[in-house]
Amino acid sequence: MPAQPLHATLWNQNRALAEACLAHPFVRGLGEGDLDPELFKRYVAQDVFFLRAFFSAYALAAVRAMAGRGVVERLHRLMGGVLDELGLHEGYAESLAIRLEDIRPHPATRAYTDFLLRTAWTADVGEIMAAMTPCMRLYAWLGQRLAVSDLSRNPYREWIETYSTDEFEALAVELERLLDSFADDTAEVAAAYGYAMRCELDFFSASLAEAP
Amino acid sequence: MEEFKESRLASGAGELWDLATRAEFLDAVGDGSLPEEAFNRWLVQDYLFVRGFTRFASLTIAKTPRPGQSVLIGGLAALDEELNWFEAHARARSLDLSSALHPVCRRYADFLLSSAYSEPFQVLLAIFYGVEVAYTVAWGRLEPQGPYEEFIDRWTHEDFVAYVRALLALVDEHPHPRQQAMFNEVMRHERGFWRMTWEG
Repeated sequence: MPAQPLHATLWNQNRALAEACLAHPFVRGLGEGDLDPELFKRYVAQDVFFLRAFFSAYALAAVRAMAGRGVVERLHRLMGGVLDELGLHEGYAESLAIRLEDIRPHPATRAYTDFLLRTAWTADVGEIMAAMTPCMRLYAWLGQRLAVSDLSRNPYREWIETYSTDEFEALAVELERLLDSFADDTAEVAAAYGYAMRCELDFFSASLAEAP
Repeated sequence: MEEFKESRLASGAGELWDLATRAEFLDAVGDGSLPEEAFNRWLVQDYLFVRGFTRFASLTIAKTPRPGQSVLIGGLAALDEELNWFEAHARARSLDLSSALHPVCRRYADFLLSSAYSEPFQVLLAIFYGVEVAYTVAWGRLEPQGPYEEFIDRWTHEDFVAYVRALLALVDEHPHPRQQAMFNEVMRHERGFWRMTWEG
């Protein structure tokens, strides 16, 4: 029997954290459509701050990979995915009247972006991919899980549909393949993946907490 | 230490300044009632923090133009000596310095390193100053006496205070609009650090 690919091992090791995200009141509120719009607004603002750092981390990974054109093209595609997400958020920001230039990061957001950027600047490409994969895989998984419900009257339908599309799944798979090819099954790689997953859960909790 | 409290960044930090420079941990150091376990936790985590701070300092030196580098290079040499000093104390107390960074300390170190690579030198100077001034002011509230006299003396010694004063002059020489926000981040991390040493 072939060994399980690394991305699957890491996902399974962190399955409890993924389930905790799915069961989180914030995510449940999105799925059931009864999330306080003010909380969603705050979440979008924090997510914009996060996505800017996430984009930079891909760019730094591309610099550090020093790899052939194929790898760079794949990272470029993933960066395109982040830009699409940022575009979607800018749309939300306009309709929710969020001033993106006024965003102050919540401590949980900063902890996550500081970790991502520290990793992107100092670690090898495998570890960078391990720090980035949880975000993509978790959102694809959450989107697909939430999309099984009837969304016809859900005000967060667009958000759920974004993360449940085949296109988003393909991006998550792309990143997992890069993880498999660049990362070894080391303690550092496992720690980066697990810490990022923990940051995801904290990010949802911060979205329910007081504004920074 | 009033001179530091009245400086631009410290007064701009508002209540964060007091939160970062006062701690139950320090009160207990001052009156000699600190539990051994809390002191040991502080010693290990502070050592690990200084290892990260040394890397931050090196990157800041690399970005700072020549005339300002002297103060920072002096600070880096002192950090190297401080690491040796921590190692000697840890050996004497049989503490394991290879233990894991506490999550609070890890967030602080991530903040320092991601900033060191991403921010311009003017902002890094404000962070550098914030870390050092918070320490000298926090320890400076204590009288160098009791079982922890050597530790109190270390960060309240006139040479250390003069070094912090030189850092402040350097920050004031190179203003930047993001200095205050990042100085405030340092104060938040300092606050978290002291709570961690006390609460575990």
